[in-house]
Amino acid sequence: MSDVALDLDGAAPRTNKPAWHRLVKDPIAMTAAFFLLLVVGAALLAPWIAPGDPYASNLRVRLCPIGSARCPQFLLGSDQAGRDMVSRLLFGLRATLMLGFTAVAIGGGFGATLGLLAAFYRRLDAPIMRFADVLLSFPPILFGLAIAAIIGTGLNGLVVALCITAIPSIARISRGAAQQVMHQEYMEAGRSLGLGDLRLLWRYLAANTWPVIMIYMTLQLGQAILLGAALSFLGLGAQPPTAELGSMAADGRKFLQIAPHVSSLPCALIFLLVLAFNVLGDALRDAFDPQLRQ
Amino acid sequence: MARHIAHRLMISLPVLLGVLLIGFLLLQVVPTDPATVSAGPSATQADVAAIRQQMGLDQPLWVQFGKYITRVLKLDLGRSMISNRAVSDEIALTLGPTVELMLACLIWAAPLGILLGSLAARRHGSWIDRSIMALSVVGVSVPVFWIGLMLIQHVGGAGLLPFQGRDGPLWTMAGLKSILLPAITLGSVFVGPVARMTRTSMLETLATDYVRTARAKGLAEWRVTIRHGLRNALIPVVTLIGLQIGFLLGGSVVTETMFAWPGVGRMAVGAITSSDFPLAQGAILILAVGFLSINLLVDVLYAWLDPRIGTAGR
Repeated sequence: MSDVALDLDGAAPRTNKPAWHRLVKDPIAMTAAFFLLLVVGAALLAPWIAPGDPYASNLRVRLCPIGSARCPQFLLGSDQAGRDMVSRLLFGLRATLMLGFTAVAIGGGFGATLGLLAAFYRRLDAPIMRFADVLLSFPPILFGLAIAAIIGTGLNGLVVALCITAIPSIARISRGAAQQVMHQEYMEAGRSLGLGDLRLLWRYLAANTWPVIMIYMTLQLGQAILLGAALSFLGLGAQPPTAELGSMAADGRKFLQIAPHVSSLPCALIFLLVLAFNVLGDALRDAFDPQLRQ
Repeated sequence: MARHIAHRLMISLPVLLGVLLIGFLLLQVVPTDPATVSAGPSATQADVAAIRQQMGLDQPLWVQFGKYITRVLKLDLGRSMISNRAVSDEIALTLGPTVELMLACLIWAAPLGILLGSLAARRHGSWIDRSIMALSVVGVSVPVFWIGLMLIQHVGGAGLLPFQGRDGPLWTMAGLKSILLPAITLGSVFVGPVARMTRTSMLETLATDYVRTARAKGLAEWRVTIRHGLRNALIPVVTLIGLQIGFLLGGSVVTETMFAWPGVGRMAVGAITSSDFPLAQGAILILAVGFLSINLLVDVLYAWLDPRIGTAGR
């Protein structure tokens, strides 16, 4: 029986060669992908490649500008507590990326499951989609505010808020993609072979829907990082002295006139990160999912 | 159309209930027992119990929730724990500036976005199109606080424009000057999405039969674009702009906080960071209700503008 199922899996086009070709030939998308690879690698290796301790302060070299002779040991200057900006940026990147990935993995995973269930079981469709509509009716920032107010400011609340905001849009997308798969003949074939619901859901529906879901998760990552940084900037997420890009940007704004690099470096990093996720997500969507371009 | 609006209302109700539940929860997490506080330091256990009963705090939570809803409907949102003023009064003071800021942002960002979007669609595939679309991706990727920080550093810091607070009503010169930087900040992240939506909608419209007919009639190209293209493309754009109000709300909370603009968003952040639960409850409630009513209004407007909506199912 499992051989048959495998054959059927093979019959469904899982990889799409021309799409990959189109993607690889897109220089902008490839630049974004390369940048993300670099940045994720740097974030993962932060404890080993950072030149110093991101929390070690030295008040004698406070707010040292980039390339100043006063602090030759700091490549990108120092912040208001005389901490090494390079190390703080690396660890900040790590925290920010971790927040985004966690939120999209948990919230998006939950949303994707809901979407698949809605497509698979007709009677669950209306309640699940109404639930998604309800969640979509809240502006994301309100989740951030409300959750920070109820469980207090900090990283935990931030993750919860980001998770919830990732649920509804991913649920909608995965339901749409799964509904198309439901019309495929191999679904019918699998059913007529007497396969159980779980197997149909996992081996057939999920296996053929996940590329679309992953594309939208990439786009969602950019949004999650942007929202997380905004909430941290407002003082509702990561708290100082935690190295997190949003709260670093907020920390530095008191010294905007004398040492603009303290806030502009983390800001620029957030921007590049979100831009890369958006560009890559758009390119992936255009290459693999021309029907869902809008 | 009636069905369409009924559907929206059906979704809005649980949302409203959810918002009220959040508000109610916020008042539950207050660390001090309100009965003990109002009984005073010399009160006995029995006194506290009596006040507890009088305030209805001994009743089951769902009864208290019901009472909370009736209080909210009467606009009684409690008192701020810090200023001790009525929360509804605090909201009345901050609502105006928030609406002001949003309008000041929409008034320049929406037309500019529509203009750029139409231009991109007209020159579909050209370098103009590509640069406008690149600009819009940059626009949705840039953190709103970075734009604010740059404006504060370069324009505010140079003394060209004020960047702290609201210096008066909009019709005075000082008031107008003080809203410029916040409105530019907030609007700059709004142009991109509007341009993108306009372009998509315009491309669809320009491909329709009636546009081809208009061209075949020999109408001038600008006339086809504006009279036949833009007028029809604008219907979905109006809705989408309305639906982006939530996005705008997020930006406005950040913008208000940065520029010390005395709006609801800044008040909400301040109340949360200083653990002023009743005020936070009121601010979140009004932001959510405002957002819901705008969405509902936009939906009705859409159905009214475009009679095809809601009748298609019949």
